[in-house]
Amino acid sequence: MNKESKNYTCPYCGEKHRSADELKEHVFQTHKGRGLPAPEGSIKLTVNKAEYVFQVEPNWTLYYLIHDKLGLTGAKQFCDQGACGSCTVIMDSKPVLSCMMLAIECDGKIIETVEGIAANGHPLIEAYVNNHAMQCGYCTPGFVVTSKALLDRHPDPAEEEIIEALAGNLCRCSTYPQHPIAVREAAKKLRTAK
Amino acid sequence: MSKHPEDQTARALELLDNLKADMYPLKEYKHIGEKGPRRIDGLSKASGQADYTMDVQVPGMLYMRFLMSPYPHAKILKMDTSKAEKLAGVRNVLRFDDPEVGKEEIIGKVAGFFGSDSPLSGVAHMEGELVGAAVTADSEAIAEEALSLIEIDWEERPFMLDPVAASDPAAPLTFPERYIDGNHWNRGAYDELAHGDVKKGFAEADKVIEFKFSRTANTWVGPERPCGVWKWNGDCPEIWLKHQRVHLPKSRISQWFGGIPMNKIQVHSLYQGASFGGWSQIDWNLGPLWCAALVSRRTGRPVKYIFNRREDFFGGSMDEGVYFVKVGFKKDGSITAVEATLYHVNAIWPVFNPVLHLHDNTTIPHLKGQCKSIWVNKGHTVPTRCEMLPPVLTQTMIFDRVAAELGMDPTELALKNDGCMGHDMAWAAEEKKQRGFQVRDSLKECIEKGKAEFKWDESWHKPGDRKLPNGRLHGVGFTWAHEWDDSCGSSEFAIRIERTDGTASLLATGADNGVDAENTYCQIAADEIGLRLEDVHYNPQQYAGFYRMTPDSSTNMSVNGWAVRHAARILKEKILESATGPTALTQRGGYQPAFPNTSPQDLDIKDSHIFLKSDPARRMSLADFVRMAGESGCFSTDEFLGVRTAWSEPLFASSYHVQYGAYNPVNPRPRFCRQAHFMEVEVDTETGEIFVTRVVNVNDVGKVINRMSCEGQQYGGSIMGVSRAKFEEVVHDPVTGVMLNGNLIDYKIATMKDLGPVSTILVETGMGYGPYGLIGVGEDIGTVVPGLTAPAVFNAIGVRIDDFPITPDKILKALGKI
Repeated sequence: MNKESKNYTCPYCGEKHRSADELKEHVFQTHKGRGLPAPEGSIKLTVNKAEYVFQVEPNWTLYYLIHDKLGLTGAKQFCDQGACGSCTVIMDSKPVLSCMMLAIECDGKIIETVEGIAANGHPLIEAYVNNHAMQCGYCTPGFVVTSKALLDRHPDPAEEEIIEALAGNLCRCSTYPQHPIAVREAAKKLRTAK
Repeated sequence: MSKHPEDQTARALELLDNLKADMYPLKEYKHIGEKGPRRIDGLSKASGQADYTMDVQVPGMLYMRFLMSPYPHAKILKMDTSKAEKLAGVRNVLRFDDPEVGKEEIIGKVAGFFGSDSPLSGVAHMEGELVGAAVTADSEAIAEEALSLIEIDWEERPFMLDPVAASDPAAPLTFPERYIDGNHWNRGAYDELAHGDVKKGFAEADKVIEFKFSRTANTWVGPERPCGVWKWNGDCPEIWLKHQRVHLPKSRISQWFGGIPMNKIQVHSLYQGASFGGWSQIDWNLGPLWCAALVSRRTGRPVKYIFNRREDFFGGSMDEGVYFVKVGFKKDGSITAVEATLYHVNAIWPVFNPVLHLHDNTTIPHLKGQCKSIWVNKGHTVPTRCEMLPPVLTQTMIFDRVAAELGMDPTELALKNDGCMGHDMAWAAEEKKQRGFQVRDSLKECIEKGKAEFKWDESWHKPGDRKLPNGRLHGVGFTWAHEWDDSCGSSEFAIRIERTDGTASLLATGADNGVDAENTYCQIAADEIGLRLEDVHYNPQQYAGFYRMTPDSSTNMSVNGWAVRHAARILKEKILESATGPTALTQRGGYQPAFPNTSPQDLDIKDSHIFLKSDPARRMSLADFVRMAGESGCFSTDEFLGVRTAWSEPLFASSYHVQYGAYNPVNPRPRFCRQAHFMEVEVDTETGEIFVTRVVNVNDVGKVINRMSCEGQQYGGSIMGVSRAKFEEVVHDPVTGVMLNGNLIDYKIATMKDLGPVSTILVETGMGYGPYGLIGVGEDIGTVVPGLTAPAVFNAIGVRIDDFPITPDKILKALGKI
């Protein structure tokens, strides 16, 4: 709550009060258990199963938060405008372009990055390495994340489905032929493990 | 002096700038040629752990952004930066007219020739050029906002975008500060290339044709945009830099600010998000770093500059231009003469003549090529994949036309004209023999293998002759060239055997370009010394002081491969000498050799074990041989009891290789290895869309070291090649000179859906000048395949499109649909 503000309106029920202290008293009495509302720009995020509370600026993208502030540098900025897929993370089970998401709109979301996927020992990582599905490597994390999101939904994708799913990930080194091979190898390992 | 009868140091010197077949090849290979050694960088890259310069954050770091010129040609008359300076969070505004910002610093590729320029100019020669001011602030966003507060009075100047128009002596000057006598400035090698007498050649021909084709601007699109960090540690710079080379920036930096000793400069070359030539070749590529260095000194804080995607469209590929060609040929397919003129856009370093490849790999007796380098108000053009783009494109266009005129299979036409420097294959065969190579017909082998894989004989037909059941027109195309390794330079490598476990560390600083070269060098070292591959490691980001050549692959695999091999052989020699002793004769006695009463030639190393050849059961692991050192010492319990045990001296060797490559016109290296490529397309005559349904690449690489890496360059180059031919074009507005599509939505590069299967075939004739007969692969396919789309499309629709990229509107226009 902003003590300087003249607007002492309860954010939970809309009741107006005359001072900050009065408002605080009201919140504790009436909405006990909910606590003081978070300051403006405060978001909760679960990233790779760890919970965080961040204070974000309105213009921060999710990419900036994850890459620059959290230091998870796997997500990369190739095009910086949503055309390349290199910044892809999984948010609430969907692959999203983190450079096109505002951090402030991601309150309460569950995020999975390439680091989390690798830490969990997902067979995609080994499959990518074994099949040389990388050259300079800058776009590789984006591909791994998108592939993981695909396999979460389609455990046994056909080659055409893999190509369709990865069509939004650009690779300038043009490693494209290796990705369907790697994804199918990982898919097979996952099915065998089950 | 080595006591070993095969003095490896002497042999290494003998092999410098090699002009022959490998005089001392290995007798057998174990890891060399393996399909799938595990990539050293694979896990880091796949798991997101690999760090790039873009990822670097240093405590206290500030962010630098540059002003972008809104005009294609303009001078800053007056600039008011006061509002920018006052913005909260701005720490420095560097102006072009700052007394410390000179007219010239050594900031580019070739010092003093194409490499000196102002680090921050007050004149823009293209729209989007970064000039005038650099703002440094607490964040990129603040720096951007500050730039928008700078007020400038510009003097707009006339500009030109078309090279032919700009070559007119009456055309306005596009870069008057540099090119005062006109926009045609040629300063490069191969501007004129001729052999024979083209007039005679045309007179001898049964037919002469003339045609013109053009390639518009296209660019590298490096995934990691240009960026760098400068930090002063006292008077010692510490730098992180996105750059294709390490030694070149370091040597330039050593000439800044009155001179900085090389041994005080630390350049971190982290993983690199690809350059393909590109930015690292641009004249001004170290300009931003220079500015960051100055501002870092003034603010006392590290400074990072980052380009946005638009700013990475700073220049383009050096195939941009207009080509005029005249060809004479006989009915039997022998080409008698070629005359070609290229109006080449903005090439800033030695330009490669349009007939160069015809000179290098054909029998054509009469050639004349001229390259007019014209400056227009666009970005510089540089090797983007390769400087061979113009001559390769010219070769493809010529051979396709002549084949079509004669109704001849283009693969037959290629074989008919295959040769060397105007000589025929009989001459080439003699040369191969003289130089110790096997006499093989590389092009024939490549074509045979390619045709079989592609099913060429069933696929090829007359132009416009085959409509498919789906309504599209079917077409196939073929092209060929020689395989090249042209690097001119030197490479240094060292190898050290680690104490305790006997593993080997390769030491050389370079920049990763994704081709898994690091593994390739490990494969060479492992086979040469006799180590298991898992016992050899190379961390190129460890600053080692030795400089290998980068980029790796086609240009530099040969020279780097030699350097590793020389070092490995010298080291093996040293290990075996050390094993037979005597070692470390001290004042209190010597140490027992590990293999007493033997000579080095009695021993060998295999699977990381030294063994006696006559009795392999007598063996010792390298780990046991090197033992511990330092604090752990060479001392054991036995030592305390006064018994000397075996001990080895430090095991380390370095070596180097130099080569002039193919650039030496006096004593050239005839090119014997070839490549051949086949493409199938379907053209939709309603939409004009081209579907590339199949590509087959055949490359004679001499000797395969790292198979998956070679294949990666084949399919990777094919996809980039198709992308450049079908989609890629930097578009400038002719009225304002503004670049309209400096982003990845409007400038399209190929996605996973844009190409059918690519089959890759590697041929190994051993006719390369590299170790084991290798010649590189890397630049080749990405350079040759762009042109191949034109023959394939012509074969489909029967009408020529002589303007790259071949976009749907051009197809429809050619078919008379629009």
